[in-house]
Amino acid sequence: MRLEILSLAVIVGACNWAFRYFPTRANLHELPPGSPVTRFLAATGPAAIGTLFVASALPLVKDLSGPAPLTLGAGVGAVLLVYAISRSVVIATLAGAIAYGGAFWLFATSS
Amino acid sequence: MTSPDITGPTGRLDPQAGTFLEGLWASLPIVLGYVPIAFAFGVAARGIGLTLAEAVALSLILYSGGAQFVALALIGSGAPFLVSAFTLIAMGLRHLLYGPTLMRRAGPGASRRHAWAWAWGLTDEVFGTALGALARGRRFSEPFMFGLGLGAYLAWASGTAMGAYAGSGALAAWPAVETGLGFMLPALFLALLLSVLSRAQLPVIGIAAVATIAVTLAWSGTAGLLAGMIAGAVAGVLNRRGDGGAP
Repeated sequence: MRLEILSLAVIVGACNWAFRYFPTRANLHELPPGSPVTRFLAATGPAAIGTLFVASALPLVKDLSGPAPLTLGAGVGAVLLVYAISRSVVIATLAGAIAYGGAFWLFATSS
Repeated sequence: MTSPDITGPTGRLDPQAGTFLEGLWASLPIVLGYVPIAFAFGVAARGIGLTLAEAVALSLILYSGGAQFVALALIGSGAPFLVSAFTLIAMGLRHLLYGPTLMRRAGPGASRRHAWAWAWGLTDEVFGTALGALARGRRFSEPFMFGLGLGAYLAWASGTAMGAYAGSGALAAWPAVETGLGFMLPALFLALLLSVLSRAQLPVIGIAAVATIAVTLAWSGTAGLLAGMIAGAVAGVLNRRGDGGAP
C-alpha cells in the first residue's frame, strides 16, 4: 500500500465524514416556519433528489441512437407505473432496471 | 419487526420508526445500484496500476463514488498531492446540505446520539432514500439509518473488491444484465423523486433540473450537481407557496 494513496484517502475521507456529520448537529428546529432558512432547507431535499436524477440520467439521454429511446422509455415507464401501483421505492426501482435491461435484450435479440 | 431502542414520545415502542432490518431492506435498490458501479471502479483502479488493497482502501476510507473516479484520473495523470486532495474535498461540499435537511425533516425529538457513526454513510443515495422514507410517513430512527447506511457501504466495498479482483470484461458475456444494472441509480432517484413530489415543490425540481443540465453541459458534472441543488433550494426560498413550514 503506497503511503500517498493511503494519505489521500484518509484526508479526503475525514473531510467527507466532517461534511456529513457536523451539519447533523445543527439545531434548526427553533427556526420560525416560513422563514427563508426554513424554506431553503425544505426545498433542498426535493432539489437534491431532482438534481441527482437528472445527473444520473443525463449520460443515458446524451446519445439517443439505437435502442436508447426504447430502453429509456421502458425503464422510466416501468418506474412510473409500478410506483403508482405499489407506492414502493424498492419495487419500482427493481422494475425499472428489469424493464430497461429487458428492453435492451429484446432489441439486441431482434436486430 | 420491532427493536427495544425504538420508542415514540410516550416511551412505548413506535411502529412507525424504522428498525435496523427495515433500513437494510430499504438499502436494496442502493445495493443493486452500487455493486456494478463499484465493480467498474475496481476494474478502473486496477487499470491505472492500483493494487487490490489500494482500490478497496479508497472505497472503505474515501467512500464517495464520484470523487473516487476523479481520484483515479488525478492519480493516473500524476497530479500533485495537494491539488488532488483539494479537488476531491471540494467535490464533497454538497454533503453539507444533507445533515440539516434530514434532521429538520426528522423532527425535534429525533435522536442523533450515534450520528457520528451513521452520518459516515450519508451518501447521495442514502440521503435520498432516508428523506423519501420520512416523506412517506416513516419516523426517523438511528437503527434504520445504520441499516440503510451499512447495506450501501458493504455493497460499495464488496463491489470494488470484486471488480479489482475480476479485472475487465467480467460482465461482457451478460450485456443485458450490465445494461439493466446501469439503470439502477436513475431508477432509484426517479422513484425517490416520485415519493417526495408535491405540487408546491414542482418549481424547485424544475429549476434544479434545468440548472443541472445547463451547468453540466457548460462546465462539469460535479459543478452541475452543486448548481442544481443550490438553484433548486434558492427557488424554494423565493417560492412562498412552498411547504417551508413542514418539519
